Amino acid sequence: MFRTTLPRLARHLVYSAPRYQAPIARPIARSSLFQSTRITPTSTAFQAARCYSASAGLSHEEVQGRIMDLLKNFDKVQDVSKLNGESHFHNDLGLDSLDTVEVVMAIEEEFSIEIPDKEADAIHSIKQAVDYILAQPDAH
Amino acid sequence: MATTRAFARLAARPTAVRPAVFTRSFASVTDTAARDPISKAGEAINPDPTRKVVPESKTSTTKEPAPDKDAKIKSFHIYRWNPDEPASKPKMQTYTLDLNKTGPMMLDALIRIKNEVDPTLTFRRSCREGICGSCAMNIDGVNTLACLCRIPTDTAKESRIYPLPHMYVVKDLVPDMTNFYKQYRSVKPYLQRTTPAPDGREYRQSKAERKKLDGLYECILCACCSTSCPSYWWNQEEYLGPAVLLQSYRWIADSRDEKTAERQDALNNSMSLYRCHTILNCSRTCPKGLNPALAIAEIKKSMAFT
Amino acid sequence: MAKISGLQREVLSLYRQCLRACRKKPADTRLNFYNHTRSEFHRNSSINKKDFGTIEYLIRSGRKKLETYEDPGIRNIANL
Repeated sequence: MFRTTLPRLARHLVYSAPRYQAPIARPIARSSLFQSTRITPTSTAFQAARCYSASAGLSHEEVQGRIMDLLKNFDKVQDVSKLNGESHFHNDLGLDSLDTVEVVMAIEEEFSIEIPDKEADAIHSIKQAVDYILAQPDAH
Repeated sequence: MATTRAFARLAARPTAVRPAVFTRSFASVTDTAARDPISKAGEAINPDPTRKVVPESKTSTTKEPAPDKDAKIKSFHIYRWNPDEPASKPKMQTYTLDLNKTGPMMLDALIRIKNEVDPTLTFRRSCREGICGSCAMNIDGVNTLACLCRIPTDTAKESRIYPLPHMYVVKDLVPDMTNFYKQYRSVKPYLQRTTPAPDGREYRQSKAERKKLDGLYECILCACCSTSCPSYWWNQEEYLGPAVLLQSYRWIADSRDEKTAERQDALNNSMSLYRCHTILNCSRTCPKGLNPALAIAEIKKSMAFT
Repeated sequence: MAKISGLQREVLSLYRQCLRACRKKPADTRLNFYNHTRSEFHRNSSINKKDFGTIEYLIRSGRKKLETYEDPGIRNIANL
């Protein structure tokens, strides 16, 4: 989403500047569901650089990083230490089905895609979410 | 206390004008002392702690009316359901009223209960004379308007009041009419024509043409007929039901309307019209004495011969 | 997580619809809509999943509410 709204120059900024610059570069993509301020990890800065060159798609680590990041700031996640690439939303993170819907909706916003109900119902873990996003050519 | 305060305020008025509700008497009210409320439960619920209360020594005392020797006590069982506690089951609540102190109609009883016994009882009412169609409900097993339904004077028999059957309930006796009104809207209940009147004035009609609308235009859309129709109970989403079909016929029969064929086309499917199996509950229950079943038969006839 | 029933799926679908509708609200009040939606759904999340009548009623009233609040004319909502 931010790619269209920001001049390319901004991406250079993200690339070269320290990480705290990143939130300024992507203000619109912020999900208003998760209110707390977030620190965008390095992976985002890398992504910005990659987008600049070609549409090579998203890397596994980057998608996972961004999803983990979303979850870190989700107030319903009780135990952040249990957060890893294999975490199950319900079993590991203690989210109920409503929270899961919120997470999947936030992922939708993060990657600027719309996930149909049927497929959204099948996403129960970070791994499933990452795999789903990677299979979407429109995700960015 | 609240009662005495209310009366103190009344007494303080320069002219002792009683509110109209207290002075009105009904044909069947034989007891003129019936003006005194049974209880003021509504006022007692939320006493205002900030307001100083006039001590009882300074106000007149309203005595609880002693039960009459010839009181005609009748029980009313009323369906109650509160949407604020969605997990609770609907229940029947019983109220007893002295018929000597109550107006002649079921609506009078309901209003008296709401005013004097239980202000939480919820029902729709407006005109209290059978022209608005608000107070449609199921009374003693018959869909009718509470304002047109006399209270049976046999006190040995208890009356049971339910909302219109097979409708979603909003609260107590209030049904959700959304679907009904949506269906009414779907028949385009207004005059449709493109050609202007020949003399540029009203669209004229002969007396004979106007006569066709008698028995149709009187419908007040109370939904008593539709909700008494078993076919409508089971196919509410698709079958239009007697009330809406009667309205549809009211426009098909109108000589001034030019979209008759379109109106008929819209009904020409297996569900909208042909779910009527001439059960005739509609004509039997109509509180206005109309005949929706006849109107439906006329539509069927008009479609069979075109 | 246990397999969810059709009724539960309907609830989740309505929740998704509501959250999508929130996104269309003006940015400065969007959070109020989100908070309202979240609290309304979580408030009733303890209802027994076998209590079909209640859940169906809540879905129905929720749909109606969504229809009302979806209107772009509604720009803010109070969280009580």
